[in-house]
Amino acid sequence: MIGVIAWATCREALRSKSFILLLVIYAVAVLLSRLVGWVSSTDGHIVTTDLVFSLQSVIGVLVAVATGTALVHTEIHERTLYTVLSRPLPRWQFVVGKFVGLCLALAAGQAAMLAIGLAYLAVTGASVHGWLVLAGALTALEVLVMAAVSLCWTAMSSPLLAAVLGLATYALGHAVATLPSLMHHLQGWKADLATALASLIPNLGQFAYRSVAVHREPLALAGIGEALVYGALWIVLLVTITVGIFRRKQL
Amino acid sequence: MNAPAGDIVAFANVSFTYRGDWLQRIHALKRVDLRVPAGSSFGYLGANGAGKSTSIKLTVGLLHGHDGDIRLFGQPLGDHRLRRRIGYLPEQPYFYENLQVGEYLAYLGRLSGLSTAELPAACDRVYQLLDLGDLRARKLGSFSKGMRQRFGLAQAIVHRPDLLILDEPFSGLDPLWRARFREVLALERKRGATLFFSTHILSDVEDLCDHYAVIDHGVVLEQGRLADLMGQAPLMLTGAGAKPAGAEAKDDGTWSLHFPESERAQRLAAVHAAGGEIQRLERQRIALEDWFVARVRASHTAGKALAGSAAAGKGGES
Repeated sequence: MIGVIAWATCREALRSKSFILLLVIYAVAVLLSRLVGWVSSTDGHIVTTDLVFSLQSVIGVLVAVATGTALVHTEIHERTLYTVLSRPLPRWQFVVGKFVGLCLALAAGQAAMLAIGLAYLAVTGASVHGWLVLAGALTALEVLVMAAVSLCWTAMSSPLLAAVLGLATYALGHAVATLPSLMHHLQGWKADLATALASLIPNLGQFAYRSVAVHREPLALAGIGEALVYGALWIVLLVTITVGIFRRKQL
Repeated sequence: MNAPAGDIVAFANVSFTYRGDWLQRIHALKRVDLRVPAGSSFGYLGANGAGKSTSIKLTVGLLHGHDGDIRLFGQPLGDHRLRRRIGYLPEQPYFYENLQVGEYLAYLGRLSGLSTAELPAACDRVYQLLDLGDLRARKLGSFSKGMRQRFGLAQAIVHRPDLLILDEPFSGLDPLWRARFREVLALERKRGATLFFSTHILSDVEDLCDHYAVIDHGVVLEQGRLADLMGQAPLMLTGAGAKPAGAEAKDDGTWSLHFPESERAQRLAAVHAAGGEIQRLERQRIALEDWFVARVRASHTAGKALAGSAAAGKGGES
């Protein structure tokens, strides 16, 4: 049943106008990124490559937050889930199926963005190599984690608030990555408290290999493996929380 | 899937409260007892906000946390597999806008337990019943309200359920499609399905139902067989000759007399004894709409009187 729901959700998402529109915006932004490369005082190709990969992350996260926050709430608001949940289906399967479907759609979007970005870089003469593909794949994982974050927030609040909280989590998630360098002056319980609070937010720095790959620095495979496990654990945790909340929801 | 004998849906002392704005508690159902017999066509009557949709949502698992006992096919609610035997059409249904009719129907059919091998025949059956065959490649986002209602019924019956639960099934339909819906529901019933539908359009109940219940402000006021209700209608006797007391004379020399069923034997005997001639004895039709309005208003009046007497009692005590 999860597969059936996931496939329908994926198809619905891929055909939505907002999803296609954001892909178009990405393509236009990628074309414009060359302008920034031209006016840059450093290596124009590196700046363009950096921008292309940052756009994949930012637009990917925007899509994830927009679709993730709407995923369940829209179903409740528009009552589309009435004809689904009145069928022989436990609610957890519905939530997991919807999330898997969203992940499939987002992964397809990320793959399309990566392909467009790499093709553009190749055409403009920038260096295209395997590390870029790997960095792009980790960006896709970051986007999936953000989709889980958005899904979880929307189970607890309205879509608008969930979107704000989702974007705040994205900002904090990247800030958490810089926390160790900021915490060196903290000691004792203050350091423990800061570490404990930081652990409540997914550290999105775990997936940020873009800069390393752009500069053709070698990527540590152990770190990539750790990022994969870290991302998977956060996704499982957030979807489990969502299921727990959704099971008790009155429809 | 054959429906068992007995009650398909049974509510025993069911109450349901939900949270409104802030801390306000809304008592949507109050000690409801309801029985939908197997094989029946059950009309659930009530004004807007009476508690019809709440009862239905509890039955199909969209709401939970009720007090009392709800049984479906004789088993307590809770096992989601029971819902395989249910077809549900929500009130004013909405569907994903970007899926095509064929994709959507297959999707919901699969969720109802149909195998991929069973799907084509099952979909073809409902395409034919509801004239959706030519629309199978259309996205539902382009559908009008009436077309969505047609698709709503299609998805409810695609898996040949034992119990069809329909929330205001005729809303948004033109007269032609209302008639077609009635035909489809009659066919479903012939197939063996039990119909349980809510409505506030009483002519639908008269046309389709053999059982009914009336709910108002979360309380079931009355339920039973429609034939019994109709049987409560007064009789009208038309005769000639000696006019009994209370009869109305007509211009053609005949007379007519109205009396309740309970006085039938006594009245007929009196006419015979007086030498009158009985020409026709017929039961008058109850105007269900008038009866419903009167029944609900009587309940409101009784409630106000009870509240008034309680207040007076308190006033007297103070």
